[in-house]
Amino acid sequence: MSPRATRGYRALARILPAEFRERWSADLEEVLADRLRTAGTSRWRRARVWLSLACDIALLAWRERFGNNDTTPAPESHPSMQYLLQDLRYAARTLRHAPTFSAIAIGTLAVGIAAATATYSVVYPVLIQAPPYPDPDRLVVVWPAGNANRSMVALAEEDMSSLERVTGLSNWTLTLTGAGEPIELTATLVSPHHFEVLGVAPMRGRSFAPEEEAPANSGVVVVSFDFWMNVLGGDPEIVGKVINLAGAGHERREIIGVMPRHFEPYDPKTRVWVPLAGDPGLPFEEDPTWYVNTRIARLSSDATLSQATAEVRTHLAGIQRRAPQIYAAEDVADATVVALATDRAGSVGSALWAAFGAVSLVLMIVCANLANLFLSRGDGRQRELALRAAIGASRQRIGRLVLLETAIVGAAGGIAGVLAAHALVDLLVRLAPDDFPGISYVTVDGPVLGVALVATLLTTLVASLYPIQRAARANGTAAIAGGGRGAAAANRAGFGAALIGVQIALALIVTAGSGLMLRSLDALLAIDPGLDSNGVLAFRPNPPEGGYPDNDAFKRYYADVVERVRTLPGVESAGAIHLLPGTFGNWSFPTYPEGLEIQDGQAVPSINYRAVRPGYFRSVRIPLLVGRILQEADNADGEMVVVVNDSLARRFWPGGDAVGKNIHLFSPTSDPARIVGIVADVRQHSRSVEPLPEMYFSHDQVGRSGMAMWITARFESGDPLDRVDDVQQAVWRIDADVPIAGMQSLGNALEESTRSTRFLTTLLSGFAAIALCLGAVGVYGVTAYATGRRRAEFGVRLALGASRRGILGSAMRRSLAPVSIGIVAGLAGARLSTQLLRDAIYGVPVDDPVTMLSAPAVLALVAIAAAAFPAWRASRVDPVEVLNGD
Amino acid sequence: MSPAPSQFLPLHPLEFRILMTLNVGASYGASIVRQIEAQESSVGRLYPANLFRRIRDLTERGLLAETDRPEDADTRRTYVRLTDLGQDVLQAEARRLEALVRDARAHDLIGDAK
Repeated sequence: MSPRATRGYRALARILPAEFRERWSADLEEVLADRLRTAGTSRWRRARVWLSLACDIALLAWRERFGNNDTTPAPESHPSMQYLLQDLRYAARTLRHAPTFSAIAIGTLAVGIAAATATYSVVYPVLIQAPPYPDPDRLVVVWPAGNANRSMVALAEEDMSSLERVTGLSNWTLTLTGAGEPIELTATLVSPHHFEVLGVAPMRGRSFAPEEEAPANSGVVVVSFDFWMNVLGGDPEIVGKVINLAGAGHERREIIGVMPRHFEPYDPKTRVWVPLAGDPGLPFEEDPTWYVNTRIARLSSDATLSQATAEVRTHLAGIQRRAPQIYAAEDVADATVVALATDRAGSVGSALWAAFGAVSLVLMIVCANLANLFLSRGDGRQRELALRAAIGASRQRIGRLVLLETAIVGAAGGIAGVLAAHALVDLLVRLAPDDFPGISYVTVDGPVLGVALVATLLTTLVASLYPIQRAARANGTAAIAGGGRGAAAANRAGFGAALIGVQIALALIVTAGSGLMLRSLDALLAIDPGLDSNGVLAFRPNPPEGGYPDNDAFKRYYADVVERVRTLPGVESAGAIHLLPGTFGNWSFPTYPEGLEIQDGQAVPSINYRAVRPGYFRSVRIPLLVGRILQEADNADGEMVVVVNDSLARRFWPGGDAVGKNIHLFSPTSDPARIVGIVADVRQHSRSVEPLPEMYFSHDQVGRSGMAMWITARFESGDPLDRVDDVQQAVWRIDADVPIAGMQSLGNALEESTRSTRFLTTLLSGFAAIALCLGAVGVYGVTAYATGRRRAEFGVRLALGASRRGILGSAMRRSLAPVSIGIVAGLAGARLSTQLLRDAIYGVPVDDPVTMLSAPAVLALVAIAAAAFPAWRASRVDPVEVLNGD
Repeated sequence: MSPAPSQFLPLHPLEFRILMTLNVGASYGASIVRQIEAQESSVGRLYPANLFRRIRDLTERGLLAETDRPEDADTRRTYVRLTDLGQDVLQAEARRLEALVRDARAHDLIGDAK
């Protein structure tokens, strides 16, 4: 067992009675070491081992100190049962008579449990729950994504012994017609054995057969449970029926299977799967199916991730040698095989762990606050409890009475917390971006409720251990005599102050994390995306390929749509682009700029490629820097031209003479495109990604059937979303069978890329607000308690001539001392914990001085404000009244 | 005179398992946990602290007794063995359970052993 684990265990074992500890400690340590060894490196399994041991030890400690040690089985009607019910009723009654205490204690616990439960429900499906497939640990994803075709998937399977089977996936959209308005469906093209790789079979019908990979046989579809129920009406005879599902080479497809209800598609938006079809036996260099985005594989039984990674690199190096334009050497060196679970968590994994950490700290603050509340309550009841002890109540019974009160608070707080968590989860799901990993599986159910229960039990138990022990050991005589100012009271005040220090330190860690996220969001929003999205509506009509079989018909359709929209009243300008900024697709091709010498073994630059219609630049106001933008005359009959962005011009022609130069795509001998203009850079995917070199080609020159375009329309005034109906009607007047997808303001599309950051910032800010409020309540409570105890002292000092300001200062100093210690400790903690946010922040360093100075300042102000009122009240005591009273 | 085994019945299931484990020979805390968890009918992970409390209680009630540890054993381990009384109680409890199972079978709750 590691020294850290040994230390952890010894700290835990301290709560056991000394005698038991001495006799059994070595055995307990041995069992723990056994279990940690079995748990391996899985953090989740190790946490379960520790949790189980903590519960075991805590229960035993309780039983040994207060419990009934009689081990003979209890007869059915034992008098202790009656006592228990009696005590339960009494505890409920006393709580009812202390409504302020009950409300604050239950409320505090409920806030903590709600925050923890809701956060856990978001974290659980992404980070903890294994992907819902058989033997999920062996499912892996090959990174980098993209840059693959169908033949490469087959080649990977042949080449690598560490990967048992590989399936390629490609995101696609298909058009469903014949059931009211045409619908655009998110589809995934998959290898025929896709479902076998995942290990899940359709609940009805069958999955794809190998021969359905051939284009002629590929007119089949497997549908999701949701699609079957909601679109196909749950028809039990659906298998074998044919639907109008256009795209990917077919107009109609036969339904061959329905996936089970809980099957999780790789892309959560997928509603149907169709074969990734292509001519068999093509060498990969000649296979045109370059749209395979993802490769999922099942590891062979004896292979490890690192072996698979090594093998993938060797395999890709072979591909790179055969076709250097596909992969750069550094891409091959960066290639890696990751577990499907890691791939699912995506880029938010570390930030979610940070959120989980933050909510755990909030829960600890709740613990400290509750402990302080229970202690104060114990002080108020000292005489009553001492009296009960004096007339014969056993220590055990008094301990039980206080425990029952705590249990009622715990149960009420836990239930209120879980109810609030339900509402909070709905809110979180609404706030989260659609593509936030696992967001569609977030729910408050079994495992999440289990965690809520454990969190409630632990929080209540930890918060009440010391107060209960103190109540059970109350010194009867002193309390009845009205004492309470002896060594025990001083200990209790010290304990309260220590709790404040801890609360402030924890609150500072949470506040600093949230401050850092806010600063990062601020930095992100301050970045100019390079275009003006105000007043621009964007949408994507997607004509079925069958209706527009040739490239010209397809291009003409979009030219008509842009023209119709442009002539609508109130529209200032309209254009089209095939990859809208802020949406996540990318096309990039090997490009040979004129004059660039490419050495042997050097990768050909792969440059981002966009097809646009002329009005695009005007409609989103991308400034022209040099030359001209594309125009209607740049059509199939004209000279092939291209507009490039500033980054491209600077990279290849730093002398500023890019206009007039030629660019060749795919091969240095292909037909050239002449650069006619340079436009400003646009942050295409996300504000946090630096602009890349980009080329804009005329849709009339490069557009082809199946290349769906986003229409951008700038309105002269008003909210563009108010004009959705007019626009749709105009588009449907051209062809009523074309589905229109993605209708939104361009601002919304651009915002999409910051929504994950916004979401995590909101989450952490919420925790920071809770932590600050709880910290304030804690400081207030401790100051009020301390000044209450020192009332007589203040009275005497005032009578002897001390100034009220001096008393105020003295009361404040005493309360703020633990606050300052907490702030210093919290700063150290914040420096360490903000490292977790490293991947989630942008534009600010993890030890950002502004955050590290302002978070403690905010916390100090809150603490001063919380301490000021009770301290001021203490300075207003009337010396005569106090002296008479004592 | 030692008390009658029947006074200790019924045994808590965990106590029964502890006695059964020690019927094979003397052992110590952590090893008893391991042996019980390895039993085919075991219900999974035990709470070790709770189990050690049971061992202590069984010792106090005279069903177990501390015994010398083997020469090469860790000196921090305390070995326990079954006393004669413990042996008698274990057998009595086993007979009681057997009778219970017979009754259950007579009531058709479970089938005949194959």
